[in-house]
Amino acid sequence: MRVSLRSDSDGAVLARQAEPIVSLSGVTVRYGPTVAVSDLSLAIAPGEILGLVGANGAGKSTLMRVLGGTTIPDQGTLAIGGAAVHLAAYGPKAAQRQGIRTVHQELSLCSNLTIAENFFIEQPEAHPQPVGWRRAYAKAALASIGAVFPGARPDMTAEIGSLPIAQRQMVEIARAVASPGLQLLILDEPTSSLDAVASRQLRDHVRALAARGVAVIFISHKLTEIVDVATRVVAMRNGRKVADCDVSEVSVAGLVEIMGGAQLEAELRRAREHVRDLGPVLATVAGTRAEPLATPISCRAGEIVGIAALEGDGQQALLKDLFHGGRGGASRSAAVAYVSGDRVREGIFPLFDVLTNIAVGRTARRPAFSVVSMEKEREHALPISRSVKLDPERFSSPITELSGGNQQKALVARALATDADILILDDPTRGVDIGTKRQFYEVIRAAAEGGKLVIWFSTEDREFEECDRVLVMSQGRIVRELAREDISEEAILNAAFSARAGATETKAEQGRSAGDWLRLALRHTALIGLVLVFAVMAARNPIVISEFGLKLLLGPAVALVLIGFAQMFVVGGSQIDLGAGAFVGFINVVAVTLLASTPALGAAAILAGLGGYFLLALIIRLCHVPAIVATLGASFIWYGTGYMILPAPGGAAPDWLRALTSWSIPGIPTPLILIVAATAVAIAIHRSRLGTVLRGFGNNEAVVERSGWPALRYTIYRYLIAGGFAASAGLAIAASSGAGDINAGGTYTLLSVAAVVLGGCQLIGGVIFPLGVAAGAVTLSLIGALLGNLGVSTDFNASIQGLLMIAVLGLGAAFLRRDER
Amino acid sequence: MNSFPAMLRQQRWIWAAAGVLILWAALSVVSERASLSSLTGIARSVSFLTLVALGQMFVVTTGRGNIDLSVASVVTLSAFITVTVSGGTNAGLPLALAAAVAAGAATGLLNAFLVLKLRIAAMIATLSTGYILATATLMINRQVRGFDVAPALRTVATERVLGVPVIALIALAAVAVSGIVLSRTAFGMRLAAVGQNLEAARLAGIRTGATITAAFITSGVLAAASGALLSAYVGGAFLDMGTPFLLQSIGAVVLGGTLIFGGSSTAVGTLFGAMFLILIVTTMQVAGLPTGAQDVVQGTIIIAVLAIAGLSTMAQRRRRLAAES
Repeated sequence: MRVSLRSDSDGAVLARQAEPIVSLSGVTVRYGPTVAVSDLSLAIAPGEILGLVGANGAGKSTLMRVLGGTTIPDQGTLAIGGAAVHLAAYGPKAAQRQGIRTVHQELSLCSNLTIAENFFIEQPEAHPQPVGWRRAYAKAALASIGAVFPGARPDMTAEIGSLPIAQRQMVEIARAVASPGLQLLILDEPTSSLDAVASRQLRDHVRALAARGVAVIFISHKLTEIVDVATRVVAMRNGRKVADCDVSEVSVAGLVEIMGGAQLEAELRRAREHVRDLGPVLATVAGTRAEPLATPISCRAGEIVGIAALEGDGQQALLKDLFHGGRGGASRSAAVAYVSGDRVREGIFPLFDVLTNIAVGRTARRPAFSVVSMEKEREHALPISRSVKLDPERFSSPITELSGGNQQKALVARALATDADILILDDPTRGVDIGTKRQFYEVIRAAAEGGKLVIWFSTEDREFEECDRVLVMSQGRIVRELAREDISEEAILNAAFSARAGATETKAEQGRSAGDWLRLALRHTALIGLVLVFAVMAARNPIVISEFGLKLLLGPAVALVLIGFAQMFVVGGSQIDLGAGAFVGFINVVAVTLLASTPALGAAAILAGLGGYFLLALIIRLCHVPAIVATLGASFIWYGTGYMILPAPGGAAPDWLRALTSWSIPGIPTPLILIVAATAVAIAIHRSRLGTVLRGFGNNEAVVERSGWPALRYTIYRYLIAGGFAASAGLAIAASSGAGDINAGGTYTLLSVAAVVLGGCQLIGGVIFPLGVAAGAVTLSLIGALLGNLGVSTDFNASIQGLLMIAVLGLGAAFLRRDER
Repeated sequence: MNSFPAMLRQQRWIWAAAGVLILWAALSVVSERASLSSLTGIARSVSFLTLVALGQMFVVTTGRGNIDLSVASVVTLSAFITVTVSGGTNAGLPLALAAAVAAGAATGLLNAFLVLKLRIAAMIATLSTGYILATATLMINRQVRGFDVAPALRTVATERVLGVPVIALIALAAVAVSGIVLSRTAFGMRLAAVGQNLEAARLAGIRTGATITAAFITSGVLAAASGALLSAYVGGAFLDMGTPFLLQSIGAVVLGGTLIFGGSSTAVGTLFGAMFLILIVTTMQVAGLPTGAQDVVQGTIIIAVLAIAGLSTMAQRRRRLAAES
């Protein structure tokens, strides 16, 4: 066990006395051939605040994932509270039970839920009451946030997604801090979007936590914060611990030096001594991006230009703009090829073999119907693959069978095969072993000598030794240009960190933008539409607003509202039910035949229908069949069964069913009461604990599952709720029309989707609004009446509903794109 | 030669082909008739479906859940256009066919616009355009009477050459061309690439928007062609004549071994998938199953096949993960 020798803070005093909360020893983590963490030992005592520093890719995050249970180390042991942990049985849930909580860089909140609901998802036992739980969570959440960030006033009624990023980070931190039994708090770049005040508040709270005996690991690129808050500092480089000392022994400048390291590979030095002849300018960066340098940046053929930046400082945007050309001040005058280090997301085509993966770059811009000869592609690829040291024997292997390094070689070969004059490398050596890296450096050097311009972003600062010059970015701009002789890890780190420290903290909270208001209007399209349609109809025929008129008009809307809710709960899971309409038709037919003649059989048939929805949920969840195809297939089953029961329109609804809708309260139209009641039920489910979890699943399945909610069970709940609403719709049609028609359900599928879309729900992301759906459904059913009123044939109904849907979705997308800019 | 595309090695279409053989045998037993004639008897139905399903396959290949739910309406609309514009004469036929195909292409272009520019999920976008087309068809249906089919088109749709229906030859040619385009041309490679990894395709220099647009247009045009021929075969156009093609086209594509998530497709498989589905329907008809039961069986088979396929890919993935670790 490692203990600080000198100390002047309370935490360190505690540390000397107590058993470590967590101790790692001899931990090694490999990703394929890459060693991310190498034989590292670390013990953290109660009350200690450990500042963890290191350059990008040093292995900090991997180490924290080991502690948090999301990564199982290849070697080494972990002990919690002095007791050895069986690593195979260790996971995120076990870590949480032991009081280890991590605040990740990428936030783990459901953006469609409120702050209180997010607290609930993670700690369902804290306030178990079925009524009033939301208020209890809101109170607790506000208290937790206030405890860490005094004075913070986040909007407790808003969804997380509409809060400023700083507030989202506050919520994430406060939720972790408030988790019961907290022993070790891991903060990974917690202040990246906080302003100076909130950052100071957080550090104060961290000190208070430590005084209570909680251990904290604080990871930050902002070294001044580390020096300010930590009691002990650990620095990592290349997966190893290179320093472990009391905070009083280090300074910011000292830390930069330790992280970068003074020893430089002689090999890299030698590479820089060779001077290449530069050709014409092939790419330039001008405008606000290059503003700090006062002059536009020109890159020439034969040059290797490095781009250095801390994570998320605008390097990706710059590379993509250069790739597309003519965006954001970045322009180019030659063909370009792009090599991404994010192989899975931006590189490989997983179903192709290696040769096709290489050839695809060359064929990208050929005439569409030109025949691709794999023989010719092989001949062309052979010398290139030799130059990148990729064994041509592997050409016919599926690309996914190659190691990460070999996959990357294939991607470089793809880029070289295109004969483009500009090569953009987006951190190409990510997760690649050192031997392969050396080979890459040679390839890149050779490419530059062959007259190509190489633009090279790397998260490994050492690699810039290979470059002719380096552009250092900070907060989206190029803040420094380092000439060949000035390039060193220290110079790059200094430039990036000093620019960051000097930049004014402008990430303050903002009010509602115009886009927010537009989105708000869009969300309420249905209500606005409803008012408009009603107004037009009332103006044309005043009877419309009488009780009788309303009863007549709203009658058909009841079923549509119900099926709208059925669809809404499915859409809330980012899925869709294309069989909803046919199911409504099936229930309608059952109601006027079996349910009338033999009620028990009828009830059994309806239950069997719900059983069908249960099976659908199983198939969709367990067999990974897309909901769209499964429900489309189911629609044929519903339709066919209904057709067998009642081939032609007819039958008679049982009297008791008709009685359910034929009662009336004087002065209030019955359909209105039914619609309000249905909406009340939908809202109750929507706002219940069950409904909240369902929405959480629709938004961020991984996070909700990690909190311990079983996905299968909730998929079943979702489809049973949808089936229940759809069945009610079928019964409502039978009750109001008195007869059955299997074709009656057909149009309801589109109508239900249209009601959901008009209601302001989003098809992906679990954002749903019961009130909007109700208004949307009523609007849609009124449109038919309005068109009749205006003398338009009912033939147009379907297409007007389709057009409405496209208009609403299209407008939504347009606003979204504006927001992105 | 054996390296492109990867799917040729996997030969997923064999399962549909085996299903076709088994069903053919079953049908022969049930119908107690010469098996060869029963196969040519259903060749026409298979051909109409194959044309539509090939188009569906191009769209599905573009990945990310892309699907064309407007094919049913395109088939019907195209049949109406063909019949009304030609007026039952050979002289009017070229214009009629041009109009039908143009309508199909325009629908595909509109779908692509909605999906790519307005970023509407393909499923919703094509569902909506389908309903708009249905309205257009309804209007034509109200105003036009007398459905005469141009003699030349009737010949194509009903005659045989050497005992093989002409329409079947057309469908086979379409399968052959689609197969070559998918496996041998730059477009085929790009289509599969887009479906496997859109961002990687973009960064590899592929014009992803143009590729996806081409797929939607192909689907519209093939559905329109099928509708025009179908009108000649059944002797006119009627509402809902395209409806069965919606589920069946998707079913044929998926049963044939094309991946529903995109990136890999097989034209031959789609042909076998179409044969498989039509054989099921025919077997059920011959066996005297009521219409409703036929729908139930079709729906059940498609869901069951997808569920089994889903389970086996899951098992494969688990095996691969186990092998890696």
